[in-house]
Amino acid sequence: MGALAIKNVTKRFGDTHILKGIDIHIDAGQFLILVGPSGCGKSTLMNIIAGLEAPTSGEVQIGERVVNDVAPKDRDIAMVFQSYALYPTMNVRQNIAFGMETRGVPRKEQEETITRVSKMLQIDHLLDRKPGQLSGGQRQRVAMGRALARNPTLFLFDEPLSNLDAKLRVEMRTEIKQLHHRLKTTIVYVTHDQIEAMTLGDRIAVMKDGVIQQFGSPEEIYERPANLFVAGFIGSPSMNFIDCHLAEQGGDVGISLQSEGGVRFVPLLDGRRFADRLGQKVILGVRPEQIEVAEEGEPALECKVHLTEPTGPDTMIFTQINGKEVIARVHPRAAGRPGDSMRLKLDVRKVVLFDPQTEARLN
Amino acid sequence: MTQFNGPAQYGFAERWLPRLVLAPSFLLTLVFVYGFIAWNGYLSFTASRLLPNYEWVGLAQYETLFANERAWVAVKNLFIFGGLFIGGGMAMGILLAVFLDQKIRGEGVLRTLYLYPMALSFIVTGTAWKWMLNPGLGLEKLVHDWGFTSFTFDWLVNPDMSIYTVVIAGIWQSSGFVMALFLAGLRGIDDSIIKAAQIDGASLPRIYWRIVLPALRPVFFSTLMILAHIAIKSFDLVMALTGGGPGFSSDVPATFMYASAFTRGQMGVGAASAMMMLATVAAIVVPYLYSELRGSRNA
Repeated sequence: MGALAIKNVTKRFGDTHILKGIDIHIDAGQFLILVGPSGCGKSTLMNIIAGLEAPTSGEVQIGERVVNDVAPKDRDIAMVFQSYALYPTMNVRQNIAFGMETRGVPRKEQEETITRVSKMLQIDHLLDRKPGQLSGGQRQRVAMGRALARNPTLFLFDEPLSNLDAKLRVEMRTEIKQLHHRLKTTIVYVTHDQIEAMTLGDRIAVMKDGVIQQFGSPEEIYERPANLFVAGFIGSPSMNFIDCHLAEQGGDVGISLQSEGGVRFVPLLDGRRFADRLGQKVILGVRPEQIEVAEEGEPALECKVHLTEPTGPDTMIFTQINGKEVIARVHPRAAGRPGDSMRLKLDVRKVVLFDPQTEARLN
Repeated sequence: MTQFNGPAQYGFAERWLPRLVLAPSFLLTLVFVYGFIAWNGYLSFTASRLLPNYEWVGLAQYETLFANERAWVAVKNLFIFGGLFIGGGMAMGILLAVFLDQKIRGEGVLRTLYLYPMALSFIVTGTAWKWMLNPGLGLEKLVHDWGFTSFTFDWLVNPDMSIYTVVIAGIWQSSGFVMALFLAGLRGIDDSIIKAAQIDGASLPRIYWRIVLPALRPVFFSTLMILAHIAIKSFDLVMALTGGGPGFSSDVPATFMYASAFTRGQMGVGAASAMMMLATVAAIVVPYLYSELRGSRNA
């Protein structure tokens, strides 16, 4: 069953096109992430789903119902805001009850819901406090409690973790994921943080300039990014982009890479597909963990280590290939020191190629 | 061995300049505010009539004051005027602020327009409203000239209603100011709180009544303080608009005090009424200051 369908939605303010034809379709129970840099239109899209803004054209469907002309309160949604948006003069109990009170839910049922929700989020000892007396994480829980009390068909989260400190953010991220596993409600989640997007989402829509760059599962987005933007936006440290030319050597189509140790030809898997592009420029995309330390006797690139960044489990090696700075993620024990030379190889099964003009993926 | 001698490190000028600069205004305030309050307090216990004299009569002037019918009219008028002026000005101001907060076009122009009366002195306001409310000159004559000859609006010359004309002029003058205070408060409210309430299903009046206005409690109290002391001190507006008349029907404590002390040769009674006004203002301001200062110490 479809839970949310967005059909060719556009939004314009005067001459400014915020959204340029958005199409998204998710099933009930899925966790949809809208991710992109600021100004990409993700929050506007969220407001359109919530009904706080009207689309210039297009259609929004929640469940089986077109909701373009339905008021926010009748869309059966609940929303959690970045600033939490708790009602400052009401205590936690009143905050959670306000929506039910407005909808005329009987008092007894209100009490039951408050008890259930506050137990679930472990805020039952805070019910008589005012928002001003709560910490950021507690406010975040109350905001989620207020949304849960509604028991909606669709949850909307608008950058809910952006105002929390790093440690709490990771904790709350896990909690949101657990909550989703337990409730199995459809969730739309806006974020600019690609780690949140990767860890939480069933489906990710990567947006830029009011256009969806790629819509797919986290694996698809990570392994097979549709274009340079998606490839660079998702993943940390981000994907290395190396300018190179397609060449032929010994019947194989591949690319030649130059490092401090000299030039080496790297054949591509399935390289014959690019036979018509021989001699043309392409951009090779390779993630830091796809550059490995070569075994003894294996063909490898001799690279000089410029800088190292130990993160604990891995060490980032900064070096240069084809005149571009390249980061490799290697095991700390295999990492050389700055000035050392290291033998590196690419995992050719996973590398991607991009067209330098259209920026689209080629393989 | 080095020793740290705090103030000794500063020169003579650094130490004395601040005190020197502050001294004149400190001295002037001491003499002309607190000194004269004390002197007035002393006068209220003397038999001063046209000119001050220092014959001690104890509470006799206060007894005269409390026995004076005109003084009680002034007190009653203060309550009528104060209540309606504060309540009406606040209601009008909040309403204007809420309307202006709806992201309307031309907000800047309207805001300035509504704030303008505050730029006028109460004398100008009083005089302008005196002309407008004058039955032979203003509103009543206008409607008569339109042909509705049965229309009457004679509050200005009606002893039972004259105080209400002061209320009208007062509200007109102050509501723009209240609006500005509340508008600033409304702008400080997080937009997403209103969005959250919309999704919760609350109507716009309910959002304002239950969520936004309760959050403006501090603004509410500051406004109340400002309007309350304007109301108690109000003198110029009444003098310009009704002169306390007809008769003494629109007297307020300040005009009563002025009349007693300077035109009717009862300086002792005037001093006593001034002390009563001081006590009234203090009764409002002191608890407020107390709670404010305590609040800021805790913060």
